[in-house]
Amino acid sequence: MLAFIQVPPILPPQASQFAIEYDWLFWYITVVCVCAGAVVYGLLTYSCFKFAKREGVRPQRILGSNKLEFIWTIIPLIFFLSFFVWGTKLYNTAIKPTPSELPANAPEYFVVGKQWMWKVQHPTGQREINEITMPIDTPVRVTGTSEDVIHDFGIPAFRTKFDVVPGRYTSAWYHPNKLGTYHLFCDQYCGQGHSQMVGKVHVVSQSDYQEWLSGNMRNTRGELFVDGSPAWEGAKLFQRLGCLGCHNNESESRAPNLEGIAGTYRVVKGGEKVLADRKYIENSIRYPLEHIREGWAPIMPAFTRNLVTQAELIELTAYIMSLKPGDLPSRTESSPPPIGAKMENTLNPSPTPMPEPKKDSEPKKEPEMKK
Amino acid sequence: MSAANDKNDYLDYTPQTFPAPEPTAEQDRTRIHYLNNENTLRSWLLTVDHKRIGLLYLFSVTFFFLFGGIAAMLVRTNLITPTGAILELDQYNKAFTAHGTIMLFLFLIPVIPGVLGNFLIPMMIGAKDLAFPKLNLLSWYVFMAGASLFVWQLLVGGIDTGWTLYPPYSSKYSQNSILYAGLGIFVTGFSSILTGVNIIATIHKMRAPGMTWGRLPLFCWAMYATSVIQLLGTPVIAVTVVMLAVERVFGVGIFDPNLGGDPILFQHMFWFYSHPAVYIMILPGMGVISEVLTCFARKNIFGYKAVAWSSVGIAVVGFLVWGHHMFISGQGYYLGMVFAFLTMLVAVPSAIKVFNWTATLYGGSITYQAPMIHAIGFIVLFTIGGLTGLYLGTMGTDIHLHDTYFVIAHFHFTMVGGMMFAWQAGLHFWWPKMTGKMYSDFWSRLAAVIMITGFALTFLPQFVVGYLGMPRRYPNYPEEFQFYNIMSTAGASIQGLGYLMPVFYLTASLFFGRPAGNNPFKATGLEWQTQSPPHPHNFETTPAVYFGPYEYGVENGLSIFTNENGDHLPTDTTTPKEGVTSGS
Repeated sequence: MLAFIQVPPILPPQASQFAIEYDWLFWYITVVCVCAGAVVYGLLTYSCFKFAKREGVRPQRILGSNKLEFIWTIIPLIFFLSFFVWGTKLYNTAIKPTPSELPANAPEYFVVGKQWMWKVQHPTGQREINEITMPIDTPVRVTGTSEDVIHDFGIPAFRTKFDVVPGRYTSAWYHPNKLGTYHLFCDQYCGQGHSQMVGKVHVVSQSDYQEWLSGNMRNTRGELFVDGSPAWEGAKLFQRLGCLGCHNNESESRAPNLEGIAGTYRVVKGGEKVLADRKYIENSIRYPLEHIREGWAPIMPAFTRNLVTQAELIELTAYIMSLKPGDLPSRTESSPPPIGAKMENTLNPSPTPMPEPKKDSEPKKEPEMKK
Repeated sequence: MSAANDKNDYLDYTPQTFPAPEPTAEQDRTRIHYLNNENTLRSWLLTVDHKRIGLLYLFSVTFFFLFGGIAAMLVRTNLITPTGAILELDQYNKAFTAHGTIMLFLFLIPVIPGVLGNFLIPMMIGAKDLAFPKLNLLSWYVFMAGASLFVWQLLVGGIDTGWTLYPPYSSKYSQNSILYAGLGIFVTGFSSILTGVNIIATIHKMRAPGMTWGRLPLFCWAMYATSVIQLLGTPVIAVTVVMLAVERVFGVGIFDPNLGGDPILFQHMFWFYSHPAVYIMILPGMGVISEVLTCFARKNIFGYKAVAWSSVGIAVVGFLVWGHHMFISGQGYYLGMVFAFLTMLVAVPSAIKVFNWTATLYGGSITYQAPMIHAIGFIVLFTIGGLTGLYLGTMGTDIHLHDTYFVIAHFHFTMVGGMMFAWQAGLHFWWPKMTGKMYSDFWSRLAAVIMITGFALTFLPQFVVGYLGMPRRYPNYPEEFQFYNIMSTAGASIQGLGYLMPVFYLTASLFFGRPAGNNPFKATGLEWQTQSPPHPHNFETTPAVYFGPYEYGVENGLSIFTNENGDHLPTDTTTPKEGVTSGS
């Protein structure tokens, strides 16, 4: 049996800018710890041999030394604090990258964890299951959430991981700098198939990436990739779910106009000002009663999980975040009503006045995950 | 008693009080001690004698250790092959959960407070019993009630959530008997609280004349600090599991985001107890090490005050570092910074202790019986455990190492390499006092060496495989990690053998062991100055304490206990005779 065992690796692959920075700190701590260990073990070994019991040799009576206590309090403390300072700086890099590390317009991947698979959506709309393909030398952001329990999106070769938590968005960024295929693990225990929730990260060259993208493009017209983006999918949902019935730009609309709200502060009932970020918009769809916009009646129905899946919610939110003044289409008689509101003509399927998608550009159904 | 016993007139150390005379063989046969004083089942099950309750704890925790050990062997055996050698996914998840919950709640937390704390604290401070003997008995029954719930939970199928019980998995998705396990944690928690109250009250109010805080053995200091944590921390885990149960049973949204709850809140509450709980586990062990090292090195502890106060420091600061388990959970960035900073501070007292123990050996006259080998093993392994903790307390490096085998190796080095070896050291050190019998020197030393070797082989490779990225709680793993896992499993088998050996030679010592005598290791503590096994009330007369706990380096013999006329020093003596100072 032993003959089949692979030659074990000693060090994990180092495939991103962050991994290089990470390893500097890792090896700094290792050197300090090895030295500290050598001091302790050296003294221990010396004492154990030198002061082993001998006939006629009496033990000395030593009570302590404040000077020594001071020294071995201060010196470790200084090293520990150096770990803290450097470690915090590194953590800062991981959590809050500077614009030079991660430009504001960097492509953003969405990841949804569910028992027990990873669903990945590219900024250009392509989807993958348990695999994530990214071009080399391009900083990207990955934002994740979970459909059920807490998972953790970990890529050892990039030295990063972050918990994906239901009801929240968390994110990380990568700047892959080495071609190859690496492990993707779920690191937070999530149930029976925890160890099956693994995948591959493919770092490919720019040209390979373009090829990969076009191979996965579902828009046969050869149009811009952006037509498969989450916001584009969200626009269709916005129509289909009848949001436009109330959220429109007419003067007597029943609900606030959503154009250009992203990033602004909204006054809600009670006078509180709330930042309209992704979380706010998502919550307003799932739990509309949490924040009622000042001056509007609480008539919005809650779009629970069985009406809008987590993946759809991301697309819908992306669309609303992208809305600029004048972007919303005019409401027509055939715009379907909001779900739950009593209106005639509910059976009519919605025409799509928005970026005309072809029938064959509907997103492919995700393959069923086998256990 | 008088100082007339010629045999005892010369001692090369200074006990804290006047030693009781060694009984003759004839006296030994007829003497009443706590083991032969009434020997009905009723007298054992309704005993309020702290020594008997200590033994009740000894039997129960050894039994649960066996359970936890079997689960560990299942886990390790399964990991021999990358696709899982013997267990289905679900079975594996239940096995590692059983290993974690049983080892933590039913072994590591109660073992030293329950067995050695109960047995030794009153004897070390010269008291007849703990402050509340009936409460003490109650704490054992409460513990057993909680433990029965755990056993019941295993019998009806076991749980698969990991000992951390993170919702929403535990509150909604897992289909197992989590309520029994939660109730088990809740109930055993009360046992822990009762023991804590008892020990605090005892150390405050029951010390013998002359037993000042500065003369208190360091084991008592460590147990005191532990008890404070038990008292303040354990209610929080009780509240947390109640909230979990309320959510699971009644669907009240506390942690589940679908119900408007927050899963991170659970992690905060859980670690608010469970981080201090690791100090509940390790601090008593540190106390044991201070006792054993001084005795076998024949030395005063180096820096008594530093060692004593570092226990208190760990207990206090240890409450403020729980968030270092959550650096990548989505908790706030600045919150994480505060926790990382405090984590670096709490690392300092542990470092101080290690340095002081090492310095204690300097200038000693060291012998290497089994307790000493375990104690040195403790220092060697705990140092690795402590140093690797720095990687995890540093925010940046934790990102990659979090939830990998690096964490597993780190906490096994502190919990097993630390606490388990301290427990073995303590058990071997006080076994002759508990039973009056001496175990085999050869087998006990061999077992200690086997345990250390097996331990190192098990957990050192896990640091490497953790850095490579192998996540914890994975029954299946990529093939390139197999080599390290085989090494670990081989080490675990050696370790298992090491842990089995004491069961045999300690049991054998009860029947075939030679009488140990009152003080086989020539230790200075009060517990050694009475007979072995001790009188039901520990001491025949209340002892008076004249000296600090570790006066091994003074060649005064017993003459120091008497004045020029050969009379005993008065019991209220707090100023020792010239030439010997108290404590530190």
